[in-house]
Amino acid sequence: MESALPSLVFSLVLAFAPSDAPPSEEAAAAPLHERIDALIEAPLEGRVSPPADDAEFLRRIHLDLHGRIPSQAEVEAFLADQDPEKRSKIVDRLLEAPEFALRMADHWDLVWNERRPDKHVKAPHWREFLRRAAFENRPYDRLVADIFAADGSEADPVERAASKFVLDRDADPHVLARDVGRLFLGRDMQCAQCHDHPLVDDYKQAHYYGLFAYFSRSAVVEVPGKPAALAEKADGDVTFASVFKSKVTHSTLPRVLDRPADPEPSFAKGDEYRVAPGTNVRHLPRRSRRALLAEELPDPEVEAFARNGANRLWALMMGRGLVHPLDMDHSDNPPSHPEVLEALTEEFVACGYDVKRILRAIANTRAYQRSSVPADHLSDDDLSPERYAVAPIAPLAAEPFGWSVMRALGIVESYRSAAESEIERDPRLKAIFEAMPEGEGAALRARMVAERVHDRLSPSLGTFHNVFGAAPGQPQDASDPTVQQALLLLNGEPVKSWLGTIAAQLAPIEDLDKLAEALHSRILSRPPDEQERAATREFLENRTGEARTAALKQLAWALLASAEFRHRH
Amino acid sequence: MRRCDYACGTREHALSRRSFLAGAASAAAAAALPFGGGLSTLAQPAVAADLQSRQRQFLVLWLYGGVSQLETWDPKHGTDTGGPFRSIETSVPGIRISELLPRTAKLMHLMTLVRGVNTGEDDHGRGDVLMQTGRPQMPGVQHPHLGSLMSRFLTAADNPLPGYINVAPYGSGAVNAADAAFLGPKYGSMTLTDGKAPANLDADPGLEPGLDAAREALRKRLNERFARSRRSALTDAYTATYDQARQLMERKEVFDLSKEPARDVERYGSHDLGRHCLMARRLLMSGVTFVKVSHTNYDTHNENFDFHLEQLDEFDRPFAALLEDLHVSGMLEHTTVVVKSEFGRTPNINHLYGRDHWSKAWSIAVAGAGFQKGTVYGATNDRGTEVVDGQVSAADLFHTYLRAAGIDPTDDYSINGRDVQIADPRGKAIEEILA
Repeated sequence: MESALPSLVFSLVLAFAPSDAPPSEEAAAAPLHERIDALIEAPLEGRVSPPADDAEFLRRIHLDLHGRIPSQAEVEAFLADQDPEKRSKIVDRLLEAPEFALRMADHWDLVWNERRPDKHVKAPHWREFLRRAAFENRPYDRLVADIFAADGSEADPVERAASKFVLDRDADPHVLARDVGRLFLGRDMQCAQCHDHPLVDDYKQAHYYGLFAYFSRSAVVEVPGKPAALAEKADGDVTFASVFKSKVTHSTLPRVLDRPADPEPSFAKGDEYRVAPGTNVRHLPRRSRRALLAEELPDPEVEAFARNGANRLWALMMGRGLVHPLDMDHSDNPPSHPEVLEALTEEFVACGYDVKRILRAIANTRAYQRSSVPADHLSDDDLSPERYAVAPIAPLAAEPFGWSVMRALGIVESYRSAAESEIERDPRLKAIFEAMPEGEGAALRARMVAERVHDRLSPSLGTFHNVFGAAPGQPQDASDPTVQQALLLLNGEPVKSWLGTIAAQLAPIEDLDKLAEALHSRILSRPPDEQERAATREFLENRTGEARTAALKQLAWALLASAEFRHRH
Repeated sequence: MRRCDYACGTREHALSRRSFLAGAASAAAAAALPFGGGLSTLAQPAVAADLQSRQRQFLVLWLYGGVSQLETWDPKHGTDTGGPFRSIETSVPGIRISELLPRTAKLMHLMTLVRGVNTGEDDHGRGDVLMQTGRPQMPGVQHPHLGSLMSRFLTAADNPLPGYINVAPYGSGAVNAADAAFLGPKYGSMTLTDGKAPANLDADPGLEPGLDAAREALRKRLNERFARSRRSALTDAYTATYDQARQLMERKEVFDLSKEPARDVERYGSHDLGRHCLMARRLLMSGVTFVKVSHTNYDTHNENFDFHLEQLDEFDRPFAALLEDLHVSGMLEHTTVVVKSEFGRTPNINHLYGRDHWSKAWSIAVAGAGFQKGTVYGATNDRGTEVVDGQVSAADLFHTYLRAAGIDPTDDYSINGRDVQIADPRGKAIEEILA
């Protein structure tokens, strides 16, 4: 059974207000995760890999929900836990921890901003905007609405940061038509700019220009003394013609795909502006087309909006979308499991676009929890990734890899201790926590610690972005491994110095068996087998002092450089 | 029979087949990349049969800023556009080039000049993209550099050296993944600046060899354990990079210019470009697939003649030495050479004695594998203001470079379910200059 939503702990957090009534337990035949499993397993007829073992599952769920591997303490606690419900409980715990919100904010930043350098909105404000949304578990449709409702004039820089999506694309209607299509509707309609898409029947030129029309009147304006913001004209119609039939001109109002355009009110001459155009004036129409998108994009009539949202959440957990690639949703590229996507989408809408709820449901499926070891009786067809008979193996992307290296080598832990003692020693913070209701003070402290660790260590990710990441503008998931990556791990900084950290942390452990366990739990998130214990003994036997430390560093290195560490599995 | 652990028909399977095949052709075979959208797979290998026997290589001299065709390959002495420099005879009767390239003139019998270039792009940035990728710059779409394509198609799977090296006066020494666009960072250019080797090639001097061996052995054992139950093309590709890294570390003297004999340093010249061309020779002889040497700055909006006199003097000596050495060593038989810029310069001389950007009628020069020798293709009118014969576009040139290197420019990739041709379909190879 699906667990009940945990109660929200922050008093600062806005109340969760679903737009529709929550799904009643009696109306749904079975919990979502069970329905998903039934649909996925039906064609497989029992030909699936067994569930991942505890260690495999724990590592995977940490990577997916927190963006890094678990700590040694977390590994040991989970493996020792006898509770038969421990898997669903840890999913709940991880979703409520501050690291989840930080991870979601990072995820949205990467997906929506795609590593663009800052232009009119600074990254820290944008990140804080996304974090607030993540900490509140703000419904996805509201978050997207906030992004298009903002116009850059908001006094609070964090509220203003919502406008980054439009402002930092310079309000260019072509770029926005394409990116809104790709990122919020799952459709890359760039080819429909000049004519109906040549290969995809569903993508029409009218759809492209329908989105274009929301932005064609807008421009970025920098009034002296004020930060850049959006101005908008009150006139300007959008017309288009196919390059193949250039004599026939069409026109369109702003509209999202096939949803009928709302009629445009007409204003008396002289009345069409709220703020009339002039020098050093940010002109504003009485009715903004851009702001209209905030209402119309997440409209229930736009099925593609919820569908794309659900598909991307699936991809976040499962490594690929039900519709794959994520921005090629059309009838000639059907989802691998249409009914699963329908069920996921329906639930996403019915529960008020609750991101945590959907991720929880996916995490609780057997499909998600499958082992990545292909069972012997699976046919080659069964092993295709879109059958979900076996969990995928994929190299960790640049951020999760960098964070996992930092966690494995004890860097996260040492920053965490430092942050905790700082906060402990600060009398003002102490007073604030004590003034708050019991659980909330603790939750706020946990959030502050997590944010300090995250923000102080993020700069160290730079090398990992450069060497393990894809170029800006290219898909940011994995690509071919390179020699430069191997050289960095073999000889380069910061890994070389960080090995010193883990060696120093583990050196006091005299017992070689315990040392083997600590190393493997920390780095590979599992206990060592017999051969690995023997290997540890061999490595360190008869070594003392500096020689022992040197050996310990290289022992840790071997685990870090292994394929097992490098991949999500 | 050993069971193949990879799922057939999946992209991982195709990737694993690549790693089992040996030889140059395998690099061009199924270029599968795992999950995610927007990644490329090559539909059909486009490699000519003779590539399998001899590694094809490519050298580009990139004269940054826009070298003047009137001061190099297509002089118009005696006209109002010709400027003060004269033309001289070359080793090919009937072909004359600027007197600023005396040594190069003696090697004209190895070269071909293309004088009818009309690329319609006068902007540095866009001209750079046009000439490096063969396609005009378009928002939201990136195409790979010529060097990335060559690195991808021509490099043998077991060659540990970077496939695309850019020898430049400045740069960070890192890999520039953006050059490779959707091919992936593996095929990005690596910038070598002034004798500084790429990053992380030196083993930690504090690491005792015994420990190094022990850590390697343990890493391998862990990989074997993992592979027993979870072998995948991806994990194989990953573990292979360590072997390649070791090989590259062992070959790091490839990047050490001080190993070149002193007399060659003298011959090429001890100035920057001299050393860079010598480095290019070293890299090519070591088996690097694609080397680009950049020389700056030819953007002579003022004092065009003084600057070109100086710049071309810097260029002529090492370029001629390099071309000569490649020829004498036999390397020119399998190495293609191209000298190009973003665009040329105006026939009109402005009030600062300069020439401005000009893409309507300019020249490039080629030599080596795949090209005819000692010829000229295309011509401009007597003042150099327009092309009168053999007009070619940037796309045409790009097709031609690929064909010279044995790659079919009309073949396709598949990106996001769309088939994209390797070279811009609007172009066509210049058959007349291909051998």
